[in-house]
Amino acid sequence: MLKKLLLTIYILAAALVGGGITAATASSDMLVVDLVNEPSTLDPHRQWNPDSYFVYRNIYDNLVTRDTAGKIVPQIATSWKAIDDTNIEFKIRTDVKFHDGSPLTAQDVVFSIKRITNPDFASPQLGQFNSIIDAVATAPDTIVITTGKPYPPLLAQLVKLSIVSKAYVEKVGDEELNLSPMGSGPYKFVAWQKGIKVELEANADYWRGQPPFAEVQFRAVKDAATRIADLRTGKADLIVSLNSDNAAELSSASDLSILSAPTERVAYLMMNTQFGPLTDVRVRQAVAYALDRQLIIDALLGGYSQIIDALLTPAHFGYVEGIKAYPYDPEKARELLAEAGYPDGVTVELVTAPVFDQRIVQAIQQQLSKVGINVEISMGDMSTFLERRRADPERFGDMVFGRWSCACQDADGVLYAMFNSDSVWSKYANPELDAHLEAGRSAMDPAVRLQHYKLALDIIADQVPSIALYQAAAIYGARKGLVWTPTANESLFLMDMSWQ
Amino acid sequence: MNNFLLKRLGQTLLSIWGVITVVFIILQLSGDPTLLMVPEGATNEDIDSLRQQLGFDRPMIVQYGDYLIKMTRLDMGTSFIQNIPVIDIIAPRIFYTLYLAFSALLVAFGIGLPVGIYIGVFRNTPLSRILMGLVLIGQSMPTFWSGILLIMLFAVKWGFMPSSGAEDALSIVLPAITLGALSMATIARITRTSIIEELGKEYVRASKARGLSHSAVIRLHVMRNASIPLITIGALELSNLLAGAVIVETVFAWPGLGLLAVQSIEARDFPVVQVLVLLGSIVYIGLNLLADILYSVVDPRIKLHGGKR
Repeated sequence: MLKKLLLTIYILAAALVGGGITAATASSDMLVVDLVNEPSTLDPHRQWNPDSYFVYRNIYDNLVTRDTAGKIVPQIATSWKAIDDTNIEFKIRTDVKFHDGSPLTAQDVVFSIKRITNPDFASPQLGQFNSIIDAVATAPDTIVITTGKPYPPLLAQLVKLSIVSKAYVEKVGDEELNLSPMGSGPYKFVAWQKGIKVELEANADYWRGQPPFAEVQFRAVKDAATRIADLRTGKADLIVSLNSDNAAELSSASDLSILSAPTERVAYLMMNTQFGPLTDVRVRQAVAYALDRQLIIDALLGGYSQIIDALLTPAHFGYVEGIKAYPYDPEKARELLAEAGYPDGVTVELVTAPVFDQRIVQAIQQQLSKVGINVEISMGDMSTFLERRRADPERFGDMVFGRWSCACQDADGVLYAMFNSDSVWSKYANPELDAHLEAGRSAMDPAVRLQHYKLALDIIADQVPSIALYQAAAIYGARKGLVWTPTANESLFLMDMSWQ
Repeated sequence: MNNFLLKRLGQTLLSIWGVITVVFIILQLSGDPTLLMVPEGATNEDIDSLRQQLGFDRPMIVQYGDYLIKMTRLDMGTSFIQNIPVIDIIAPRIFYTLYLAFSALLVAFGIGLPVGIYIGVFRNTPLSRILMGLVLIGQSMPTFWSGILLIMLFAVKWGFMPSSGAEDALSIVLPAITLGALSMATIARITRTSIIEELGKEYVRASKARGLSHSAVIRLHVMRNASIPLITIGALELSNLLAGAVIVETVFAWPGLGLLAVQSIEARDFPVVQVLVLLGSIVYIGLNLLADILYSVVDPRIKLHGGKR
């Protein structure tokens, strides 16, 4: 009797899980994307992490966006002009409707800006928007955004601002917006099966035209090997976050393709110029000469990443060609070390975290040891890493290996934070550099900014407070026939994709 | 019996308080979650403002007191990564982990028990050595490896099992086998020892003298007596399987508590991690209590007055 009962319960449980839902079969109407984790939130004004924004940016529209070439172009805004250095006026579209049929108005834009900049809302993205002190709708199709002081990267930041419906948020509240988001974007939210997947369906009335897939699922598959298995078995059509080894494994499959793009993420070696042996610029230059970056890229990164000589990539505003580079020259490195008073070598501590490719860390260790720089690796988890990354020079360690992305593609988001003397992320102080960085973040004329960033990059190249190693690539696996060009800002816009 | 239960209940509450405290301290020591939430390049002011909003600027003892009070009210708080109540994050996932753990237990007993009986009754035959070797191999394989191996064979190569997720009725099969393999050998060995021990007892000879056949003795008497240690092992293995589920769920993208734990720890989502660890320890403590009670059901000679087993 008991056995029978247990068996019945068991079968019921199995039916409950399996019942009704059939395997996701690939068809041109449906796209299944394997993410790493499920979104932390679908409220676009909360978390900014890829697993979240990959999904919610397809549900919402942005004020401005970037085209596939990386240029800032209109989306909800049709045009904009600076009234003065701190006020900028946007004209917005009047033909955009939210998924509930209500029109998107200037009030919704103003509400979205005020929501994300409200300190009580405690958005983790606040730091990217808090240069904005006010936003006003001056006409049904016009808004004016005011910044506290001149802030040239404003447009680059606004690329990330999703427009929510004022009426909907006020009606349902913050928590409900998170659980059942409603925007004006190409896809409507259907369901979120916690831990399993988020389902979206095409918004047939979308103002930019018919979205490419009738239905889209975003699944959460943590293990890269499992994502690859999903792609191979047809359970997924597109998988994210692969490394070069995964890509090599997939390249033999004729029905699959590997899509990749250089991102705005730069792998760097940051050096402590304020404490320890690396206070001597010759030792820092020795480190730069001792590294064979091309070997690292070819041997460990499968050629997917590219050498970069500054901490900026071509995807950033402020990037300039012709910055001084340090070629691989171990002889020169040894000479510089001897000059600096370390003919018998020196020992340095390298701080890193497991999320960064440890093969690279070991390669750096090995290459530096060849010239007499003995590297001791200190590995902590991400939280510990970030704590030390921001710590005082005495606690910082001698070097840090990490990757930097400001998610804004503007020199200000990289150079100011990393090298300005009063930034906690900087372990370098140089009044001349500070002046250029300050000018770069306040001059509204792009030509003037470029000039300052060129000079700033020259100083950094000369003084080596940090060495840029490579521009990291984002690698995706896809079913053959999916047409999509990944972009440097690591967005995943379904509108840019199609089946061949 | 009541005294015993009361005493055990007291011990249980004490253990739970201990767990809450230890988890709280470890999480506090393990780092500042606000650092993981802000974008790179965030200024100290940005971080401080977020920290203040989340209440991390308060002294640790105040945060601890606040947490204890909330726990006694069964208020589990709100995830500060997902911004929804912890209970809403955890509840839908409990079912999946239980489903996986019980399925794995079924696999473990389904293979471990027959093997154990066989090698107990037919000691030292070549076949029993081979069988034991096989279950030992099953137990020795790390799940992150055996899981991928099963996916590669059954999903990618032969294509008759789903490679991940929980959307199909068959989705449970591979995770359950992967996880169940962990406990097979333990169950087989305990069964074997237990049967050998019982076979040497007087009542076996007495029953045979009464004219019962060898197989009838084993079926009617030996098995029942040998099952007592298996109940404890079953309960303990279940808690082991719940712990093992962390890796298996990660490999198979199975939406249970283990996968949630990994994600929440990575993101330092304190409120979720705290509740998950607490839940785990309550289950562990509860299963032990259950095993004690089940003894007396199976063997009425064992009375529940504590101490004596």
